[in-house]
Order: sequence, then C-alpha cells, then structure tokens
Amino acid sequence: MKSSAIFILAALGAFTVPALATTASETNKDLPDRQAALVSSPKSDAQTYLTPRPLSAIPEGAFGDKVRLGYQLFVNTQQLRDKYVGNELNCANCHMDAGRKANASPLWGAYFAYPAYRKKDDKVNTFEERVQGCFNYSMNGKAPAAGSPELVALSAYAYWLGMGGLMDATNMHDPVPELSDAELVKGAKREDFPLPQALASALTVEQRAKLPGRGYPEIPKPELAYSPERGKAVYTAHCQACHGADGQGQAIAGVYSLPPLWGPMSYNWGAGMHRINTAAYFIYENMPFAKSIQLSNQQAWDVAAYINSHERPQDPRNKGDVKQAQDKYHNDNDYYGVEVDGKVLGTAAYPVFPKKS
Amino acid sequence: MNNKLNLLVTCITLISGCAMISEAIANPELPQAAQLCVACHGTQGEGIEPLGPRLAGLSKDYISSQLKHFQTGIRQNATMMPMAMTLQGDAIETVASYFSSQSLKNDVKPVIRGEQVSFDNETARLAYQGDWSRDIPACVTCHGPSGIGGGQFPRLAGQQASYLKTQLLAWQAGTRKGDVDGMMANVANKLTTAEIDALAHYFANLK
Repeated sequence: MKSSAIFILAALGAFTVPALATTASETNKDLPDRQAALVSSPKSDAQTYLTPRPLSAIPEGAFGDKVRLGYQLFVNTQQLRDKYVGNELNCANCHMDAGRKANASPLWGAYFAYPAYRKKDDKVNTFEERVQGCFNYSMNGKAPAAGSPELVALSAYAYWLGMGGLMDATNMHDPVPELSDAELVKGAKREDFPLPQALASALTVEQRAKLPGRGYPEIPKPELAYSPERGKAVYTAHCQACHGADGQGQAIAGVYSLPPLWGPMSYNWGAGMHRINTAAYFIYENMPFAKSIQLSNQQAWDVAAYINSHERPQDPRNKGDVKQAQDKYHNDNDYYGVEVDGKVLGTAAYPVFPKKS
Repeated sequence: MNNKLNLLVTCITLISGCAMISEAIANPELPQAAQLCVACHGTQGEGIEPLGPRLAGLSKDYISSQLKHFQTGIRQNATMMPMAMTLQGDAIETVASYFSSQSLKNDVKPVIRGEQVSFDNETARLAYQGDWSRDIPACVTCHGPSGIGGGQFPRLAGQQASYLKTQLLAWQAGTRKGDVDGMMANVANKLTTAEIDALAHYFANLK
C-alpha cells in the first residue's frame, strides 16, 4: 500500500466522474431518501483502491464496540428482522466482503460521499439518512430513527473502514481517531469533518468523495435493448444454481446467504437495485459470486431485466395508485407499472415491512 | 492415494465387508440399491475413513447430482464410477433419499455469520470471512453457517479431513467438475496446499 495515496490522487486527476443521469423518480419529500441511482466510479488498470484495515485491528473500548456492532449488523442484518428489516436480505448481499470490497458499493466509499446535496429533493442527505433509505427500500423495512444505536454503529463501521484505509495510504498507522455519535452519523463529505492534518492536506473533500472503487462501476448500455426473455436464458445458465429457479435464494440454518432476488422476501420497488441499470452494473462486476466479469455486457443487462421484471414488495411511496406512483417515481430503467406477461407490475406487489411469518 | 490403489483397497474392503453387508441387509430401512454403498460409506452413511466419506447430512439433491456426475465422468473417480453405474432408473433417488435422511451423530450448532468479528485463527477467518484480496469468499456463504450445507452445497462440518482435502485437490486438478461457471474450482484454485490442509481439518473437527 506504500504509494497508494499517490495512486488514488493520480486516478482522481485522470478522470472526471460522470454523475448518472437523474430521473423523475428522484423526487420525493415524504421519505428521507429516494434511493437515487448510485454514483459509480470508472475503472482503470492504473488505479489502486483503498484497503480497509483488518477487522482484528478494531480497537477495544466503547468506540470499537460501535464499529464491531456495525459490522455485525451489516453481515447479519436479519437480527433486525421485524424491528427494521422486512425481508430476508442482509446488507452484505449487495456489498461484497461486508462492505469492504471496491466496485461493490463499499461502505468506505459511501462514507466519504455524504452528506450530499440532491437538487431534485432540495435536501442534503447525511450518511445516516442514506442508510435509512436502505432500510426503507432495499431491506423493505422501517428505518431506525436518526441517532439510533444501529445507525451510529453502521456509521462507525463505515467511518472506521474508510478512515483506516486512507490513513494507511498516507502512511499514518495510528489508531483511527474516535468521533462522537453526532459527528459519525453525518458522514465525511464536509469541510468541518475532523481529520488528521496530514490527511486533510493530502486530499480535498471532493477527492475523498470520489474514491476509486465506490459504487458499482457503470457499464455501457447494451447493443440490443435489454430483454427479460433473453435474460431468462442467462439466469437459467448462470444464476439459478445459487438463487434458485424461482429466484428465492437459499436459506441454510434459517439464514439466506444466497438471497431471494424477487418476490415477497426481496428488495421493494423503491430500492436502487430494482433499476435495470443499477442491477446490471452490480451483476456485471460482482456475479457469478467471487468470479466477477464473466457475463457479457448484454447478458448483464438482460438478466438484470429478467430479475427486475418480477413482482416484489410495493414501493412504499405508492399512495394506492400504481400509475400515479409510476409517473412520479418510475420513468426510467425499470418495470414498475409496466405490463409483463399480461400483468401490470406493481399492482399485485407484496406488502411493505411484513412480519416474519 | 492413486486410483489403482484406491480400487484395490475398495475391492479388499468389499470382500471383507461382507459381514457388514449382511448386517445391513438385516436393516429393513436400507434399500437394496444402497447395499453396495455401505461397505465404504457405512450402513447409515456415517462414512468409513479413508474409504468413503460421510453421506449422512448431505442433501438428497446433492447426493443424486454427484452420483450422476460420477456416471458421466464429470467427477472422475475410478472406484465411484463403476459403483454409481450400478444405480439406474429410480435407484439414484432411492439411494439419495436413504442417505440424506440418516441422522447425524455429534451434530454441530451452526454459528451465524457475524457472531464473531475478528479471528485469531486464520483458517476460521478464511472459513467465515474469506480473503477478498484474492477474491476468495467465505466458505460459509454457500455452504451455510458452520458449513452445514444445503441444496447443491455439500455439508463440510464433520466430514472427514482426508476427504475434504482430496476434494479440494480434485477441484484444483480438474478431476472434479460440475459446478456452474466453475465457481468452486475458482475458489479451490486460489487456495494454497497449506490452506487446503488447514480448512479440511477445521471443518472436519467443528463441534
């Protein structure tokens, strides 16, 4: 990791990061987060990614306990089932290596990218507000309240991963400075974020917010318009061995580590992953599991379309009218309100935040 | 153990195992189709090291798919190929049902991922957290908490260490295949010999 900071700086200098097109679906003032398209980072052979410290380096004491709890909630989010989680997913299903892996929406990348202003809802989202969005949509649940121990813990874990990695890259091998809960939940993309001086002078706030490897790398639109029909063949050949022919994943000892991809126990119609583009980026980079980049660009889009053309839990923003919710939130890259196999998706959507039966 | 030696040992065992087979025949639950299996795998699929791995605790799907893999040579094994060929028609399902329904002695209590945050033991860390710097995922992601297995993912907990080791080496050598997109081969190929040895012992000795 010796000259990593230099590599990171070089990579940042070499690329301007295109923001994904915002859509009409990003207008919502009813919930703290509308699960905007993830900001991705382009890939380059030359770049080096932040390497978080090993979990064994988490310090003893109250601060370390928060970091540890954050890790535990992240990999076993099911311990919050019926409290804040309404499906069978865990955060680590979409964030590989417990939120540590580059190009798999690492927590360290997100932590330095918030708070972030979003002009469509005219609101700055703190890091904890962004995580609340995950609970409302990806986890089909009910977000913990601001400042709750769960959000503090997840923030502490994200902060510790990112700060430790940046410090190591800058040859600062001291313990990660402890922060108050109030500081932790805000996120690090702000001028007043407390940083060791050497780090503050090595990277600007904007540079820290655009760390290589954050989000899922964007891939080009496919040559042919994406198709669930072609995607079904891709799914059968490459995905169903783990996720099942019915897309319902597999539980062992009551734990789904192979997650359900659609149906009542998966993410809802408001989650980022319900978008064909976001799912295609994730799949292309991270699936088949631990192999990465085995599918063609076209296959990734097609299979993302197949997965996301199934019914799933209702969009929590739906006020009883699918068409209205579609017009307001779903005009781009998704199947909500669209007729597939003679049925309009969203009309038979499964309940939001159901109790585990 | 090379294949010829393996076959020789099996033949000797089959002969000396006659008494055991007679005993097995006396077991009314043992289907006739499974009688040939018990000399090496035990009457209840408990396994006889080093002749045959434990079958009890494996899923029906897994046992039947592996029998088909032996028959077609996707999984190469000089002993198991002819043995598997004796099972035709419904016999594969019958045998798979019988062994998958056998209860395990000394079952493990599955440890859910995340219960432990850091590991002093590198092998336990590899099993529970993987090593993503080499794109090696945690074994328990697919094989379940404590590697208890399910569906197409075989149980690792309590399996014989010698067997787990030879299988990881077989994945590396390409004599064992049948995993979609080579996912297991991909993981096995990244493991060092020392890691294979350590993981085999770790799962074999899980309590």
